Amino acid sequence: MHESRDERESPIAKQSLFESRAEITPFLRPHTLSMKPLIVAGELESLTEIAQFVIKATQKASLDKKAAYLLRLAVDEIATNIITHGYKQAGLAGKIYCQAKINENALIIILEDTGVIYNPLQQEKPNSLHKPLEQRVVGGLGVYLAIQSVDKFRYERLGERNRNIFIVYSQASQKSLFYDQNSRA
Amino acid sequence: MSLNTTLETTNDTAKIFLSGELDGSTANSFQEKIEEVTNLALNRLVLIMEDLEYMASAGLRVLIFAKQKMGPNVDIYIVGAQEMVLDTIEKTGFHHSVILLDEYNP
Repeated sequence: MHESRDERESPIAKQSLFESRAEITPFLRPHTLSMKPLIVAGELESLTEIAQFVIKATQKASLDKKAAYLLRLAVDEIATNIITHGYKQAGLAGKIYCQAKINENALIIILEDTGVIYNPLQQEKPNSLHKPLEQRVVGGLGVYLAIQSVDKFRYERLGERNRNIFIVYSQASQKSLFYDQNSRA
Repeated sequence: MSLNTTLETTNDTAKIFLSGELDGSTANSFQEKIEEVTNLALNRLVLIMEDLEYMASAGLRVLIFAKQKMGPNVDIYIVGAQEMVLDTIEKTGFHHSVILLDEYNP
């Protein structure tokens, strides 16, 4: 589960999911359930709808309360970043495209946007986590929390789109991974 | 998603009750409450979070704003924060700069 930054980054795919419906990653299995995608304006008012979409997906995937909260937090932080930095501060307007895919191994949430190019994995870990609040500089905490809060986070650039992929493994798959590793040892 | 904030000030203490969800779309109302008290001669800012169900980094940003605006002599108390809100506070090192309490009994 602990991977280096480079290993978390994925190769650049050729087309957007919403254009091609192509399979995005090897994480998807034949019995993958896809929720109806959500497309919302890239505005702060859309955060509620995005959160509701993610919460519904966590319920369908039977995630426990803590994992569900953390996934919602991760998606919320990246969506907020897209809206404030990718669109608003750049003087751009656009949408956020949300997808959820569920299979026996994982819940995968995908956010796409047409804002400024931004790869969250390239952001340095905040170096002020131990400093008192008086000495803190605002910024960087949201992305840090987002990446910390899921099992795997990937970023891809697809033409004009940023694609952020959040993966949370099911508890059953984590358990079987644990036993697999132990039996191999 | 909504956030409700209620402010009470007594002597040297400002107490803000937060309930609901604190994210990028609701953090402004929290910041406005902080702005109402930054010019008062306070020693304590007490944030009652028992009914706060969710907090994103937008909430942490307001805490930085409060501390920097009110100065080092004002202690910030966070009271009754729920498990996952507390988890965020601790992951980001904010617990070193605020006083965490289960209950507030001045």
